Amino acid sequence: MAKTIAIVEDDADQRANYADAITKKGYEVAEYASRGSALEGFERSLPDLAILDIVLGEEFDAGFQLCRDLLARAPTLPVIFLTERIDEIDKISGLRLGAWDYLPKPISLEYLVERVSSLLRIDEVRSSGSDDAGPSARRLGDLTIEESALLVSWQGTRIDLSGTEFRMLAKLVRQPGHAISYDTLMNATMQSLVTNNTINTHMRNIRKKFEKVDPDFACIRSEYGFGYRWAGQ
Amino acid sequence: MKIGSKIRGPRLGTKLTLLGVALLVLPYFSYLQLAEMERLLVQGQSHAQLLTAEGISTLFNGREDLFRDLPVNPKDYESLRAYPIESPVRLDGTLAEWGEVETRVQRFGGADGALADAGFDLVLGERAGDLYAHMRIRDDRAVFRDPRYLSLDNADHVRLSFIRPNGEEGRAAITLQAPGVTTTYWMQPDWRFAETGAPETQIKGYVTASGAPADGGYQLEFRMPLALLGSRRYLGLSFVDVDDPESRTIRAITQTLPTAGKAGFNLVVYRSPEVLQLIEGLGYSGARIQVIDAQHRVRADTGSYRAEAAPDTQADWTLRVREWFHDIRLWIEGIAGTSEDPSADPGRSDALAEEAIAAALAGEPITARRLVEDDVEIIVAAHPIVSKDTTVLGAVVVEQDIDHILTFQREALEEVMVVAVSCLLAVFLAMAAFSGRLAWRIRTLRREAARAIDRYGRLRKQSLESERSAGDEIGDLSRSISTMLTRLHQHNTFLEKMPRTLRHEINNPLNVLSTSLESLADRVEAGDEKYLKSARRGVLRIGSIVQNLADAANLEESLVADDFEVVDIGRLLGDYVANLRLSQQGHPIVFRGVAHPVHARVADYRIEQMLDKIVDNAIDFHHANSPIKVQLDTERDFLRITVANRGPTLPDTGEASLFESMVSHRGPHSRMHFGLGLYVVRAIAEYHGGTVRALNLVDGTGVAIMVELPVATEAPAPIRADGQDRLAPRA
Repeated sequence: MAKTIAIVEDDADQRANYADAITKKGYEVAEYASRGSALEGFERSLPDLAILDIVLGEEFDAGFQLCRDLLARAPTLPVIFLTERIDEIDKISGLRLGAWDYLPKPISLEYLVERVSSLLRIDEVRSSGSDDAGPSARRLGDLTIEESALLVSWQGTRIDLSGTEFRMLAKLVRQPGHAISYDTLMNATMQSLVTNNTINTHMRNIRKKFEKVDPDFACIRSEYGFGYRWAGQ
Repeated sequence: MKIGSKIRGPRLGTKLTLLGVALLVLPYFSYLQLAEMERLLVQGQSHAQLLTAEGISTLFNGREDLFRDLPVNPKDYESLRAYPIESPVRLDGTLAEWGEVETRVQRFGGADGALADAGFDLVLGERAGDLYAHMRIRDDRAVFRDPRYLSLDNADHVRLSFIRPNGEEGRAAITLQAPGVTTTYWMQPDWRFAETGAPETQIKGYVTASGAPADGGYQLEFRMPLALLGSRRYLGLSFVDVDDPESRTIRAITQTLPTAGKAGFNLVVYRSPEVLQLIEGLGYSGARIQVIDAQHRVRADTGSYRAEAAPDTQADWTLRVREWFHDIRLWIEGIAGTSEDPSADPGRSDALAEEAIAAALAGEPITARRLVEDDVEIIVAAHPIVSKDTTVLGAVVVEQDIDHILTFQREALEEVMVVAVSCLLAVFLAMAAFSGRLAWRIRTLRREAARAIDRYGRLRKQSLESERSAGDEIGDLSRSISTMLTRLHQHNTFLEKMPRTLRHEINNPLNVLSTSLESLADRVEAGDEKYLKSARRGVLRIGSIVQNLADAANLEESLVADDFEVVDIGRLLGDYVANLRLSQQGHPIVFRGVAHPVHARVADYRIEQMLDKIVDNAIDFHHANSPIKVQLDTERDFLRITVANRGPTLPDTGEASLFESMVSHRGPHSRMHFGLGLYVVRAIAEYHGGTVRALNLVDGTGVAIMVELPVATEAPAPIRADGQDRLAPRA
């Protein structure tokens, strides 16, 4: 049975574009233009994944409220914020609410669809009950990274990374010790508009998450003027 | 620039103080008023004195007899001066009661040293209508009168000759019979026999032999009523010496006249009793009345010009204050030039009085001011006395001091001064306090208003605290500035939100565009891909513009979230340049660092971001193939990163504004540039406690941008073993 993707977006054009792209991949799509209609739809049936815009019509925080409502009903439901609100504070609030990813507009449809499939796959892996490192898991010193399940742990402790962060880290550790350029890292975000500064911000967030587990974490090194490098321990 | 624009007016306090100085005219005008009042008072008194003089003169008008009884020319006569005697005189042959008059000795017969035989020393005095005479006569052999002889000229005697009031000649001989009371007889013209046998009792005398026994001689003291002399007062006095008691012939006659040939009289000079009687009752306190005849002789004199001075009981300090005021007054007079004080020159003031009297004698009533002593000023009023045929007989001179006027004026001046000075002081203090407070309030307001906006024009506060509740214009000013700031703040907020709002608003349609383009990509026909690609590039460019704008607008906010760590800037810069050379292979880049580590507390990716912007700027502006120089220097407590390129220089005025948001010195045709880059540089440098400057190279061939950052004092966090090359191979 095809998975249902809920798209909540007040702009009809964007909504239609998303829906087209996702439908093409064989998913079912439930489109909602407002918080009210979305809530009604969720009453009837919960989707398998939700893509939420934050600003809906006049409601400035409608996406956040919807996310709260959805996760209250289904705590493990993958939620993606897809929004023009790309301030750091919004991103942090969104991820704190329990969203799996926070994607800024403008987005590449290709990437959106890939994210959707990836998250659904991860959801499947996670809901299958296996919390251990799967067969696809890679070890690199203290780091364990399982790309299929979007799982990362450091010294055995799970580290919650957003989708983008995970992909960047994955790029970085693919060739440990080699400097990865900003351009490469930008590709990893799969967003159409990324600056060095965006990469720096992501990297800082990733570092912070590692440092929370291990204050001595220093494996992510800056290559000033070029990019980043994963330094072995 | 106009020169005038550099000159500014004085400050508020100075202005108010200058205004206060204007109050100084108050005491000045008071002084002028007082001077005028003094003039009026003096004039009034002059007038009153003149009236007095006129009144008195009417008593004498037509009384030629009082004035004509003197020879026209007193110089024809030797005068015998009669001095007023203060106390009653007893006729005892001595000068005991004469007071200081006894020194007024006139010597007749004899040289300066000693009296010749038959010479005498004469002292004349007058008291209570009598003429007193004292003669110390030298006589080798005194021959007293023998009563058996009828003839009186055969013994020593004294002859008096005078003109009676009725014009007849009077002759009297004072005969000496023995020491003691003398006897006087009226004589016949030949001076030999008495007119009548009865002695004249009005002329009383006393002779004593005790005068100078060694020399021989005697002292004679006598008096005669002045009434006998009439008003002309011609008097001749001679001593007739007889030495031989046997022959009894006259040996010598010593006269008071220089030569016997002239008129037989001396002129007794003393005040005219009739005139005196007339004016005696007129004297009043504080006025001196003189009657002067046409020959400038004082005929009568009564009273004193000096008023009774009140005893000076004032304390020392009052006197001192007086002296100050006197000085101030002189000073003001000096400034005002209003002084009519003749006191400057007493000699001149005497001359003035003389002129006044002369004028009066010429027939003209006149008044003058005159200084008699250092501080006594008098008014002289002179009025002529005229005869029936209107010739001037003399003048009445009334003199009175104006001390009371001057005292009044001085006291009034003192009062005015005290009041004026107190007022001035009070006003000055009040003004100083007021202006000080005003200036302070305005300064406070100005400081706060200046601080409300920082040097980059950003608002720091929306309203002013100072003077907010003041009710006056400064309060209004403060409130209106606050209102301005509030409005400005609203406007600024709007502007600041603008890029973000713009991004929010643009991102949605951009998203529509990009997703639609992506959806189109599958259906595009061969050969049309290029249109799709250019459309995508356009979308990308719009997005990047908006992104840059929003980044710059958010920069200061997002900087706050950054964590600082101690980083070796030397290594950071080395790595950065090495990577830069790889990515910018078209542009030669020269790096000069320092050998030792340079630690600074920074957010490394921000420094990187800053370097990106500076280098972008340098690359944008540099001449092709000229090197871009990156240099690191260290000073004592800061480090300096310099990025220099050869290329167009900055305009003179552009250096400061270069780092402002939205200021670009690129040409108008350059694209993709909002002047945000260097603004980001500045924001980051300043957030790290540093500064940034743009300078033209000394040789004028290019521009250098210098960032100075403080050096970290603490040690860097230990660098974990890396073991790898700084510059790892690229992925």
